[in-house]
Amino acid sequence: MIPEIGHIFLISSLVLSLVGGLGPFIFNKELPIRKIAILMCLLVFGSFFTLIYSFVVDDFSVAYVAQNSNINLPIYYKFAATWGAHEGSLILWILSMNIWLLAFISFDKNRNTNFSNLVFGVCSLVIFSFLLFTVFTSNPFERILPIPPLNGADLNPSLQDFAFTVHPPLLYFGYSGLLLPFAISISAMLSGQSNKDWASSSRPWTLLACSFLTVGIGLGSWWAYYELGWGGWWFWDPVENAAFVPWLLTVALVHSLIVTENRNLFVNWSLLLSIFAFAASLLGTFLVRSGILTSVHAFALDPERGLFILGIFSFFVLGGLAIFAFKNSTGNKTSFYSLNSKEFGLLLNNVLLVVLAVSILFGTLYPLLYEAYTGGKQISVGAPYFEFIIFPFSISLGLLQGIALYLSWGSTKSFNFLTKLILESLSIFLLTLVLLFVLFDELIPASFFTIFIFSWLIVGSLLINFSFKSFNKYLDFLNRRIGVLLSHTGMALLVLGVGVVSSYSNEIELILDTGEKIEFLNKDVELLDIKDKNGPNFISKTANIKVLDGGRTFNLQTEKRTYFPSGQVTTEAAIDTGIFRDFYISMGDNFKGDSWSFKLQSKPFIRWIWLGALLITLGTFISSINILRRKS
Amino acid sequence: MKRILNLMPLVVFGILVVVLYSFLTQENEQLESVLVDQLVPEFKLPALENPNNILSKSSVNKLPALINVWATWCIACRVEHPFLMQLKNKSTLTVYGLNYKDDRKKALDLLENEGNPFEFSIFDQQGKLAIDLGVYGAPETFFVDKEGIIRERHVGALTQKVWKEKFEKFLNEDNDV
Repeated sequence: MIPEIGHIFLISSLVLSLVGGLGPFIFNKELPIRKIAILMCLLVFGSFFTLIYSFVVDDFSVAYVAQNSNINLPIYYKFAATWGAHEGSLILWILSMNIWLLAFISFDKNRNTNFSNLVFGVCSLVIFSFLLFTVFTSNPFERILPIPPLNGADLNPSLQDFAFTVHPPLLYFGYSGLLLPFAISISAMLSGQSNKDWASSSRPWTLLACSFLTVGIGLGSWWAYYELGWGGWWFWDPVENAAFVPWLLTVALVHSLIVTENRNLFVNWSLLLSIFAFAASLLGTFLVRSGILTSVHAFALDPERGLFILGIFSFFVLGGLAIFAFKNSTGNKTSFYSLNSKEFGLLLNNVLLVVLAVSILFGTLYPLLYEAYTGGKQISVGAPYFEFIIFPFSISLGLLQGIALYLSWGSTKSFNFLTKLILESLSIFLLTLVLLFVLFDELIPASFFTIFIFSWLIVGSLLINFSFKSFNKYLDFLNRRIGVLLSHTGMALLVLGVGVVSSYSNEIELILDTGEKIEFLNKDVELLDIKDKNGPNFISKTANIKVLDGGRTFNLQTEKRTYFPSGQVTTEAAIDTGIFRDFYISMGDNFKGDSWSFKLQSKPFIRWIWLGALLITLGTFISSINILRRKS
Repeated sequence: MKRILNLMPLVVFGILVVVLYSFLTQENEQLESVLVDQLVPEFKLPALENPNNILSKSSVNKLPALINVWATWCIACRVEHPFLMQLKNKSTLTVYGLNYKDDRKKALDLLENEGNPFEFSIFDQQGKLAIDLGVYGAPETFFVDKEGIIRERHVGALTQKVWKEKFEKFLNEDNDV
């Protein structure tokens, strides 16, 4: 009975979203949009809640529950298994779109103008199309009757993990947040809203979406690092790219909206970028859910679903672009700015980010293109391509970002800050090198570029205005620009993490017998024993390893787990974490008797990558909240 | 000129949509054609009933036959189970099982309680043969003709309807020869 109630909720919200979506286009008068938005949100939440309930009470007559849960699954994971596969995650996605819409309406001070009604209408139409997709191709409430199975097939074991349970909701929240800039862009073109107005109403939401995307991607990277057992933090997996491309476009949009709002420039560009960012998020969904790309992100393969998402994509993106081509009624004025202005700096920033996004998208789609037009020959575009591409872009973006905060609108009068910037960043650069030499006894020239960029960014975002004499003034500067400073500093830490971990990492693979001792990077590593252990829904071989590192002794446990409902095997890596380096052991295969292969890795500064992502998340979040507070 | 410039994004994305559409249709053909009209691949795997009995391609010798991929954790397999029993009792066709990523004891229990439609089951815990067969998941069913050639595959539960539409014709054809 409960699943049927959920189904009814879903269908009611489908009808309601159609009414809300067509209303502003047909009636063109005052609609109780806030009430409709609240009701839609409640209905979708109710539907989501009944699905969670079916998971928690082990209702295996619901096919989706039977495929993704199991009696032995710990209760916390039963809860999270709700979004563990396609159908449930789609409901979560729709729920977050509803929450974004409701938030927009609640903060909107121009309520009931033509513009606001249109935003509501476009959002409702998108929500409607996603609901239609769910109800017709991905209904999570479908039953297995008359004989329900006694037990379920279990949640994918790699997903039974804390970071996983929060990574998708946050990422979906970010993805779906791009709905608002899209709807705002369409509505601005249709209503002729002034550029300052629409850009300023789009900016806080774009920032917030960026914040959620960043934390979602960051958590995904962290999860991959400790759960997949390879010790990598980014794999250029097609699905990772599918999240990275919208992120790049969102970052570009965050910057171009500043120009549109303040200078009434880049208007068409911001309008288009809003559509592109949303298109990229839909495209990501399409690639992941249609099964045309295979990767660690396993979703059910179903060409029919792919077709449906492609339909949604075409309708909204092509529709939006057609409006841009034929019905764009926003004013676009020509204005002049010199090559040393803030406008030009932001233009460069946007060009670099967008070209980078397109290159990554191209690398991701190219193998498919190649396969389709050579009749099945396969080619793989891997990390080398992406690393080759991203390097020059990061260097240029980094150099630009270091000076960006000190450029002025129109034209920059004085470049006196450059001397200070160069001197200070050289000193930070040298200090960092000394630190690295003390820590690791070697200097690797390959990392110098990124370390210099790190220093340049740190000085450019934090230190350049610092002086003891006018310390209060400096504090005031920090306070005023806290959001932008945090995110730009986050970028600096991320760059340092990437640079150091990619050149200072070490690893060996070897076979160890119980009791055997080896030395790795001045550490004594001893395999104490291997024990059998039983979990609630898995059995495992647990290797107990003693590490003597200088004066410090600690024990690490790495596991090979076999989950019995599905028979799938996972590796639980043992990680000794540290701010300057992680020590990472993962268990490989069994050889004869009790000897197993192990992989030992040292990962210096890898934490800085996620620390950086966290700061970007915080910075964009704070900026967004500040703007929203100022407005209301 | 400005008009044309404004149309550019629409054109570019229009092309993208067409390309993406072509990927989708491409994928369909591939799924159907992987192993159809090819010989059953070689394998060396233990029997479910007896781990010491190592089976190979030559053990699959009562042709024509169905190879049915199944597992105890697979729900749709339970759905098709009664139909497989029916096939065993009614037709001359042999049904071989490929027990896929499963627990031996649970699998044997299930066959004991619900009946065993299979001549024997290959115990493929790692999914080795399943990979060679291009199995997407359980259940999946392959039709192997008298010459040992795979003629048809079906992904999903095998029902009366699927049987009539996809498989029955091969049986008649084999009898004619």
